Amino acid sequence: MALGACAKAFSNESGPSAREHGRLRGLLDLDFQRAGASNRTALIRSLQEPPLRVVRAFEREDGSALAHLHNVSGGVLGGDSLMLRVRLGQEASAQLTTTGATRIYRPRVDAPTAVQINEIFVGEDALLEYVPDPIIPFSGARFSQRTTIHLAPRAGLFWWEILGPGREARGEIFQYEMIEMITDIVADGCRIAAERTRLEPESGDPHSLARLGNYRYLASFYICRVGLDAKAWIAAEEQLRQVARTAAYSSDTLWGISALAADGVVLRCLAQRGLDASSGLHTIWRAAKTLLFHRETIPPRKVN
Amino acid sequence: MRPVDLLPTSEPFPPSADLTGLRLLQLADSALPIGSLTHSFGLESLVAKEILTKKHLASFFRGYLEEAGMMDAVFCREGWRLGSVKEGEFSSSRWREINELFSALKPARETRSASSSLGDNFLCAVLACGDFPLLREALAADGPDRKRPGQMGPKRKRMPIHHSPAFGLACAVLRIDQDHATLSYLHQSVASLVSACQRLMPLGQREAMRLVWDLKPTIIETAERSRMRGIEDVSCSMPLLDWGSMEHPALSTRLFIS
Repeated sequence: MALGACAKAFSNESGPSAREHGRLRGLLDLDFQRAGASNRTALIRSLQEPPLRVVRAFEREDGSALAHLHNVSGGVLGGDSLMLRVRLGQEASAQLTTTGATRIYRPRVDAPTAVQINEIFVGEDALLEYVPDPIIPFSGARFSQRTTIHLAPRAGLFWWEILGPGREARGEIFQYEMIEMITDIVADGCRIAAERTRLEPESGDPHSLARLGNYRYLASFYICRVGLDAKAWIAAEEQLRQVARTAAYSSDTLWGISALAADGVVLRCLAQRGLDASSGLHTIWRAAKTLLFHRETIPPRKVN
Repeated sequence: MRPVDLLPTSEPFPPSADLTGLRLLQLADSALPIGSLTHSFGLESLVAKEILTKKHLASFFRGYLEEAGMMDAVFCREGWRLGSVKEGEFSSSRWREINELFSALKPARETRSASSSLGDNFLCAVLACGDFPLLREALAADGPDRKRPGQMGPKRKRMPIHHSPAFGLACAVLRIDQDHATLSYLHQSVASLVSACQRLMPLGQREAMRLVWDLKPTIIETAERSRMRGIEDVSCSMPLLDWGSMEHPALSTRLFIS
């Protein structure tokens, strides 16, 4: 399956929800807006087609909204086509997380590749924090995710993804067939980041030093604020590197951080244990939010 | 096409196979003065951390070619296609798109900067050998307009020009075959990195030569597979080398710029 083929899973679509040829189409379309003159963000509209669900958005002490993304199937099944569409209006602030790891199940032999499409729009002066649990691909899993994030002027973003090797406790290490993670971030009309990760353990050894080496977990963390100049990002790169070396340090984890072409930084984490990656990401998230937004981080309730 | 507008007036047209072959040898020579020997693209950090050692080099470079090599090959071909247009049909907006995407695909600042420095230097080096209007136009292309808070008007910045698309573009203008251009680009990039390894670890000249020799089948395979891919659907998963490049600014002793 070529990159971008996941987009085709939604082409020729008559409606958001359908089951055809065993392919289940799920949709979650969320619209967050700041409520009037208050600093409160509300989920003003949600379109939901199973298996994707959001039960409610919690209002938090800083006025932001927190929503937990559910997949009532318990995971992504072979052939599923899932779409997450999120819009944040001007000055809105929302945090999205999952209720647990995203499990990518082994598909039937004839099932198409499971796909997830994420389309994200963050309005002017708005802030989106997307902090999900890891993705765990089961043995034989095939999964393609395409994420496009549009950032308006002065929009902010914290966005991470953690990819695990499989069900480690069962000895399933890199036994999936194919995982593809395509991410594009467009800030004020310019593409500032494009990630094209594709791992096929059978044909391209993940343990090659050209890929993950001795590490099992891979995480990418994008931190953006549109409009900050290049010097500010170089300074942020250095400050967050120090955080990664101290507060987020673990002997079995590598943290790399670099300024993007504009408007942000990206972190790459390679870890032998998933918990090290998760806890380090939370540490760096807190530091970056204070540094760049002068606001405190309120982690999702599940980790409080 | 009126070749006199694309090539210096003193050029025979079409240039002979001997002439294009010799030119390709020169452009793909690591001695071309564009600075390619000053970059390790993150290898220096991997060696400093003792992750990459001599015994891993062959498998590392095979993986490198499958990932970064494939991406470079696809962009080299795209540059070639853009440079092979008829007179007046060069699309500077497409050129900008190609280079903007290449920048976005390089997460590490130093690697991104190294690639654009080499691309810029490469076009300047070719233009020092003759007047090629299309290459002049490509070199002069501006970056996107960005209006920043507090600015009175849009700020124009020079567009980064990356090495692999610039190599393809120049080869097309010089009437060098696309496949030969792609193979040569991959060969010179691997040879430069192996040369960097010679300075980073105890790798002798003959061992380095043998390494590059043995990688030729993988280079051919990568160039062949790159025919089937476009710049929007090429993947590159090299997180460990990304880390190496991201960590490079923090190394206490550095032999290389990247």
